[in-house]
Amino acid sequence: MAAAAAQGGRSGGSGGSSGAGGGSSCGTGVGRSGLLDKWKIDDKPVKIDKWDGSAVKNSLDDSAKKVLLEKYKYVENFGLIDGRLTICTISCFFAIVALIWDYMHPFPESKPVLALCVISYFVMMGILTIYTSYKEKSIFLVAHRKDPTGMDPDDIWQLSSSLKRFDDKYTLKLTFISGRTKQQREAEFTKSIAKFFDHSGTLVMDAYEPEISRLHDSLATERKIK
Amino acid sequence: MLSLDFLDDVRRMNKRQLYYQVLNFGMIVSSALMIWKGLMVITGSESPIVVVLSGSMEPAFHRGDLLFLTNRVEDPIRVGEIVVFRIEGREIPIVHRVLKIHEKQNGHIKFLTKGDNNAVDDRGLYKQGQHWLEKKDVVGRARGMQCSFCWVYLCLSTVSKKSALLFLGRCHTFRYWMFGVDTGL
Repeated sequence: MAAAAAQGGRSGGSGGSSGAGGGSSCGTGVGRSGLLDKWKIDDKPVKIDKWDGSAVKNSLDDSAKKVLLEKYKYVENFGLIDGRLTICTISCFFAIVALIWDYMHPFPESKPVLALCVISYFVMMGILTIYTSYKEKSIFLVAHRKDPTGMDPDDIWQLSSSLKRFDDKYTLKLTFISGRTKQQREAEFTKSIAKFFDHSGTLVMDAYEPEISRLHDSLATERKIK
Repeated sequence: MLSLDFLDDVRRMNKRQLYYQVLNFGMIVSSALMIWKGLMVITGSESPIVVVLSGSMEPAFHRGDLLFLTNRVEDPIRVGEIVVFRIEGREIPIVHRVLKIHEKQNGHIKFLTKGDNNAVDDRGLYKQGQHWLEKKDVVGRARGMQCSFCWVYLCLSTVSKKSALLFLGRCHTFRYWMFGVDTGL
């Protein structure tokens, strides 16, 4: 039910935007949101190649994200991801500048600009590596729980996971950072991926969701006790 | 409605993830491009790696060998060195050995080349009325060699010279990546 409500919310959002664009012709607005609905397959059960390690990890991560965002209605914070995207975009920008400059002014004249672009590109690559290793650290979700009274700063929930190559043990770690006290609490579980996927590679949400909820509640109840 | 099962992964991605996939691809291409441009800057030659197309420099170079070039201004060209040069009006550079040099006091030189495996010097290849080559025609000097067999390029060039040239011309960005080096005849 939560998934259907979220789906309705999402298509409502896209319908709203297309409605604003083509106010005169309602028919095309509805048609476009209908196509977008057909494109999005949030309700379809996740089916992946069970032998592909990265697909397994991605599907588990995405499902954990879905549970946290839809069931508990947290708001996703895109700060970390945006940082990474910005660094990559700047690197590609340097590459494109080098390409165009070299095309406009053939080689010997373009030497200083090329040298600058190449060095900047590799510096950006170094920055990207440091960013993903130390700042991002395999965190794939940062979600905020807005305080209902609006007085205190938001509580932050962070999800990070790891799945070693050719291994079947999947570790999911949930970190709770209280907005008020700035204290950090974490909980994690390590389970074999065989517990969550059936033989055809479909992710069984009925087995996976209780795990996430248990993890979440273990951190939430500690807060209440305090 | 045709089933788009193979696109399921893409459909499940949100905008940011899609953009990241595009960026990932862009970064792979950019890395290759930046390494190539970096080599260009370091060696000073506009085509640091070339492929030998024909057998006019045997037994030193065989068809399919890779050559590493540098084009430093400080190094003077001397007789006996192997240079890669481009003749005006021709796209494909040629790799031959320097035979004779005329040098002025101010460093301006004119030189004549010949392929090791050829019977005559290259005057027949030069432009009409041109008897000597100059520094500006030089793409670089051969500094290292890697025996290899660039089968793709060689197959194309044996099938037809035109298709090989088209292959060169089409990959505009990587035009210098697989510059063929040829005796010309």
